[in-house]
Amino acid sequence: MQAMVQTQNLRKTYKHADGTSIEAVKGVDLEIHQGEIFSLLGPNGAGKTTTISMISGLLTPTTGDAVIGGYSITKQPLEAKRLMGFVPQEIALYPELSARQNLLFFGKMYAMGGKALNQRVDELLEFIDLADRQNNRIDTFSGGMKRRVNIAVGLLHRPQLIYMDEPTVGIDPQSRRRILDTVKQLRDEYGMTVLYTTHLMEEAQELSDRVGIMDHGAIIAMGTQGELTQQVGEEDRLEFTIGAQTVTDELIERIQNKATAVTRVLYNPPEQLSEEGSESTPARLIAFAKRGRTALPLIIQILDAAGIEIQSVAVREPDLEAVFLALTGRALRD
Amino acid sequence: MHAILTLILNDLRVFFSQRSNLIGLFVMPVLFTLVLGWSLGRGDSGPSRLRVDLIDLDQTDMSARLIDELRAANDALLLCPLDNDADDICGLDGATSQQAGIVAPSNSEDEPLHRERAIERARQGRTRALIVVPEGYATALKTFQSVSIEYYSLSDPMVPDSILQSLQAVLQRVNSASMTTGVAGALLDNFVHATGLTVIDAETRNQFLGELYLRAQQKLTEQPASVRFITTNAEDANAGPENGFSQSVPGMGSMYVMFTVLGGMAALLRERRQWTLQRLITLPLARAQILGSKIGAYFVRGMIQYFIVFAVGAAVGMNFGRDPLALLTIMSAFVLCITALTFALAPWITSEGQANGVLLLLSLSLAPLGGAWWPLEIVPELMQTIGHLSPVAWAMDGFHDLIFFNGGFGDILPELGVLLGAAAVLFVIGIRSFKYE
Ligand SMILES: Nc1ncnc2c1ncn2[C@@H]1O[C@H](COP(=O)(O)OP(=O)(O)OP(=O)(O)O)[C@@H](O)[C@H]1O
Ligand SMILES: [Mg+2]
Repeated sequence: MQAMVQTQNLRKTYKHADGTSIEAVKGVDLEIHQGEIFSLLGPNGAGKTTTISMISGLLTPTTGDAVIGGYSITKQPLEAKRLMGFVPQEIALYPELSARQNLLFFGKMYAMGGKALNQRVDELLEFIDLADRQNNRIDTFSGGMKRRVNIAVGLLHRPQLIYMDEPTVGIDPQSRRRILDTVKQLRDEYGMTVLYTTHLMEEAQELSDRVGIMDHGAIIAMGTQGELTQQVGEEDRLEFTIGAQTVTDELIERIQNKATAVTRVLYNPPEQLSEEGSESTPARLIAFAKRGRTALPLIIQILDAAGIEIQSVAVREPDLEAVFLALTGRALRD
Repeated sequence: MHAILTLILNDLRVFFSQRSNLIGLFVMPVLFTLVLGWSLGRGDSGPSRLRVDLIDLDQTDMSARLIDELRAANDALLLCPLDNDADDICGLDGATSQQAGIVAPSNSEDEPLHRERAIERARQGRTRALIVVPEGYATALKTFQSVSIEYYSLSDPMVPDSILQSLQAVLQRVNSASMTTGVAGALLDNFVHATGLTVIDAETRNQFLGELYLRAQQKLTEQPASVRFITTNAEDANAGPENGFSQSVPGMGSMYVMFTVLGGMAALLRERRQWTLQRLITLPLARAQILGSKIGAYFVRGMIQYFIVFAVGAAVGMNFGRDPLALLTIMSAFVLCITALTFALAPWITSEGQANGVLLLLSLSLAPLGGAWWPLEIVPELMQTIGHLSPVAWAMDGFHDLIFFNGGFGDILPELGVLLGAAAVLFVIGIRSFKYE
């Protein structure tokens, strides 16, 4: 298969005003094939936006390069940029202008014009189902409607390749559904190559032909979903949401030893999300087991005996979440 | 180039669709220009008066009378140092009327204004004219000899000048009156000779002739409608609203240009926050096109701001001088300089609040410092020098050359040089440190 996007050792170091610096992307090597949906899956701050910004010519890499359809983004930026459409994580639209005015303006920036541009804009407004609101100002739109216009701008010049950076953030489930369907449509009907970033395992799972899992600025695993889940074996994952009681190492060891099918136990203590401590995620205990359903009653028994309150239990088959857990020891969380 | 134009047009369209910008662009500037223009144009204090230096080397009743007549003929005249007040309205650095003495006895040591200094003041445009009444003026009039009053002014001798017209009108009356006296004196002498009467003693003769002069003068003052017509006409044009507006229009125009163009600092941050600037960078456009369009857009905003304020001037019938192209050039140079300042400052500014703080601080200090609120001529010399650190001062100098003194391109070359030079330096700084990321 032909590579549409290929990066070599992409790095980005941000320098802060106070002199410190942070390496947001640490040597990423990616290959995105023509006609596939490639997802970059990773938690907040993993470096997804930074990576996409470098391969779209928005940020200059500290080192490394990306080749887009044969053109180097650092050496032939204009040629490379003509091949790609870009849907940024933010709503990059002029709020004072109408949907149509925004589309017309960006179309002109792609050297489109006249009748052809007007037709294309009509077509896209139809595609995102906003033809009836086309003359309203963007700042009167709902979050989901803005997101759809944001996507349409990236599609204006019929690019072969489109980058979509978390295009479903902050919108209702219905709008999310539409967008996911649109993304599949782009691949299936128009043969486009899609680079899709998300921190949601379900989205990556539903859309992707291939996935790159990103954490702390590095790709920690890459491949088809089958290839990735194979890395964690055939094990089921048992997830217990538990109370705030202390879980001792000794208890974890006991679960590992007594419940024979269990290969590994992870404990995620409760985590404060905000400074005031008003919001926090509950503690979680995660056990990997060959046959999860047989191990389940045993573990519940041990936890009960140790006086630990069980709030909920879930048994999951191998998935991308499991891969992330196995590789980082942490859960992919919102 | 096509892309740059589209970008500039889009920028302006976005700018004009924000209501707050319209208030800043139209409502406030028009309001302040009108208020300031009217308040400067009214009353007999302030810069609406025509500052004229007058040196009376004759120091006689006749010369004092001439001065009174001149005052009566044109009440917009501020005769210096005679009319100076405690605020040093004459700009003489502390030489007040007390020191000068309203009708000072001839004492050249105490004279607060020598001829050289007065000529220099007129040459710099700090006064509108210098009038020198020569020594022997009264004698010359009495003995029916020709005498010339010296008149120095920057204004074009071909263009009607209200001060000169007032002076000429007064002199015409004085001359006619003195001619009557002279002719009467000669007739009297001849008559006495011819009839062989006893010679009248000199004192009686002078008293008679003096009385005659006064009467002739009175009659002439009552009569010469044609002369007065010219004078009043000129007075109207200069002491009327125009005077206030030829200060307030360029002054408020320049200040609001600063507000509008420096507003670009916040606008750039806003475009980054909105991610529209980043979106532009991912389009197949050269970086020079993006930066060029932003520079172009802020420049056009500034020019629009000037046009709005100058339209107010046009509406009240202000005179723009004789060279509209030079006027447009000085406007462009100032707007370019402020645009460059915007881009030189923008990289150091990290929040929209900070941008607005810097905008207010700069506009509200550079504008009055540079003479946008009142003419720099009325502030002490030191402040005038400091004021020229502000680009506004150079622009205002240019406007004064063109509007007050009816100058042309040649007169604004120094101002253009300074403004464009500053613009070039600031652009180099701004373009080099522009943040694309
Ligand atoms: N302009 C910047 N200056 C300094 N640090 C930055 C900048 N942009 C991002 N970072 C840092 O780089 C890291 C990666 O950020 P990035 O936005 O690429 O993550 P992300 O995976 O897109 O996260 P999210 O899911 O929240 O969008 C973070 O630690 C972030 O704080
Ligand atoms: Mg991101």
